[in-house]
Amino acid sequence: MSSDQGNVGTKADGVAAAAEPLLAFADALLSEGQRQPTHTPDEIRQYVTFILRDEEYGIPILQCREIVRVLAVTRVPEAPDHVRGVVNLRGHIVPAVDTRRRFGFEPAPLTARSRLLVVEVAGRLFALIVDRVARVLKVPASDIEPPPEGATLPGATGLARVGEAVVHLMDADQMLRAGAAAAGTTTRGEEA
Amino acid sequence: MEEIFSSLVKDFVDETQPLTQEVGALLLKLEEVWRAGGDGKSLLRGIRSGLHTIKGNGAMMGFAPIERVAHALEDICPRVSDEPPADPAGLVQLLIEGCDLLGALVKSALAGDLPAGRADAFVERAAAAQALDRPAAAVPTGGEAPLPAVSPGAAVPAVADGDGGRGSARIADGDVDELLELAGETIVGQTELLRVQGRFARGQFESGDVALMDRLLVDLGRTTRQMRDKLLRVRLAPIATLFRRFGRYVRDLARERGQPIELDIEGGETAVDRAIISRLFEPLVHLVRNAVAHGIESAEERVAAGKPAGARILLSARLREGRVNVRIADDGRGLDLQAIAAKANAQGIDTSGFSEREMQRLIFRAGLSTAKAVTNLAGRGVGLDVVAGAVQGLGGSIDVRSTRGQGTVFALDLPVTVSLQKALIFGVDSETFAVPAGFILDTMESREKDLQEINRVLLISWRGDFARAVDAGRLLGCQGLAQAWARPYAIVLQAGNNRGALLVDWLSGVQEIVVKPLDETLVACAMVAGATVLAQGRVLPILDCMEVVRRISKALQPERSTEGKAEAAYDVF
Repeated sequence: MSSDQGNVGTKADGVAAAAEPLLAFADALLSEGQRQPTHTPDEIRQYVTFILRDEEYGIPILQCREIVRVLAVTRVPEAPDHVRGVVNLRGHIVPAVDTRRRFGFEPAPLTARSRLLVVEVAGRLFALIVDRVARVLKVPASDIEPPPEGATLPGATGLARVGEAVVHLMDADQMLRAGAAAAGTTTRGEEA
Repeated sequence: MEEIFSSLVKDFVDETQPLTQEVGALLLKLEEVWRAGGDGKSLLRGIRSGLHTIKGNGAMMGFAPIERVAHALEDICPRVSDEPPADPAGLVQLLIEGCDLLGALVKSALAGDLPAGRADAFVERAAAAQALDRPAAAVPTGGEAPLPAVSPGAAVPAVADGDGGRGSARIADGDVDELLELAGETIVGQTELLRVQGRFARGQFESGDVALMDRLLVDLGRTTRQMRDKLLRVRLAPIATLFRRFGRYVRDLARERGQPIELDIEGGETAVDRAIISRLFEPLVHLVRNAVAHGIESAEERVAAGKPAGARILLSARLREGRVNVRIADDGRGLDLQAIAAKANAQGIDTSGFSEREMQRLIFRAGLSTAKAVTNLAGRGVGLDVVAGAVQGLGGSIDVRSTRGQGTVFALDLPVTVSLQKALIFGVDSETFAVPAGFILDTMESREKDLQEINRVLLISWRGDFARAVDAGRLLGCQGLAQAWARPYAIVLQAGNNRGALLVDWLSGVQEIVVKPLDETLVACAMVAGATVLAQGRVLPILDCMEVVRRISKALQPERSTEGKAEAAYDVF
């Protein structure tokens, strides 16, 4: 029987010729999202901005994967203070970072406007818990100022003035990289 | 004696069930070939030899109904040398029905109850068909259908059970030999390590001992890894074993609609963990059923849209970057984004800023995946959120792409193997954790009289002995106020030579879980080995029992403020 079994397999695969159009269609649909983002002119930079307390922060749009409502966060015993736990993001277990704590602010309870801003850093996903997501900000590079002297926010890369508002521009990579090492030790130190 | 017989029955079912499936698949092929005007000789040979083996197996076990049905099928199945049948469609239909009946009979052999009546009824029909000569093989069944028709809403009896991998796996003798050899090497390695350890214990170690130990440990690590890889490969099976089961299902759905639907299979040879194959079956049934019920238009609609009346469904698998991509595509009407938006808005979701992709993904949300939201067809919506949950439970993800009027593709991204583990789920305070079953010596009710404290070490009496115990809520840092004395259950763990008990609030049964690693941000969490996702999408930390038991063996009971009273909350935070 085994040879007949093989027979069925190859025959089934053989119909692939007939399936070609459907296959090509499936391929085309699936590759759509993988196209590189269209070239943006150098002078305009795009950020997804979010609110913590009353301040607005921006993360480069290319580091952002998606924005989702806050999912159930599972606490992990002995996690660093700024990691509130893990969330299930379509099957991926992703650390949920308490962005307030990461910045050294008072933690706040979640509200209906709280969101997870999912960022990708060096191939790893992190879900940043933020008070709310504000907007996609396009800002000319020439309008970006260096971060103020003595700024202590981890990962701060600059300041953008947009009308009345001041937006703190961040780099997710530096923000989290610094976080993994520093926050863990400092908080443990505080407790001692 | 009974045990021997039941193990024989199990072997019989293990061997014969796949055979009935293979014959069924060949018959479907035969139907296709005959319809196209071919003679299908090579298929007939396979079908006849399969039936013959089934008949022999049945006779050997004394399962007369199986033997008789297989025999009747052999009788009506044309020989390779025979002229082509006059009514191929009717004949093949009868053969398929008989083969289904065989499958059902083989299955019922496990339960020890073979419905002889159904077998006799079929044998009669087959004989009647033969007596009327082959042209009339499609004699109407006379009102009583021996097999229920498959309806899209029903649980797919024709394909629901099979070689998905829940039961036993076949291992080639060569693989067993290699595994035994590797096991032998680990034993040799361990013996040599013991010898070195003995010299250390006696203080008589030799100059090369440290280097020797290093080498032995490296070897041991290599052989155990090889063993694991080898075993993982044994668990792989071609995904065709799963896809093939849909041939029959799609065919039946198509018959029911009276519209031709072709099932195309691509990449059936892709090797995937049996555990994944068996758990993927139900999600795929949902998706295929969805494609037929809601994706594919009626023949008239299709023709009006300039498409062929016959629809196509594609099941495909590919390996990409160490993961398996499985796709279920149809060339139907595509998702109706307006209907999805309307449904979402009705639920209070503001879709104004949504991109097309985000709109499409909405169908995976609970309550949004009903048929009405997706298409205008009335009908039962299948919970795509449930499908997504099942895929996630396997460590995979699901996505959908669709073009209006052209079709829909569901894309599943899955690992090739999953690390499955049996684990006990327990709760303490308001949190839930999983403990790998391999470390659990015992679980029991814990009463205050079973606990005693000596020098701030908490002990629980267990089988006439004592084990160190610790309050799980306190150990794991849960935000509750209850303390050890108030926990109703204890889990006794053994890791290496150490033993320790966790005092918890509730226990649920042992279940199989998929182990997923945690991001390296959480490496410091030594008591947690990984995480798992339960069916509802909920994440549970899996405890690292080596570390937990180590902590228990060092833990000291916090000073009790008032004597003996469990209600006295103490401040551990």
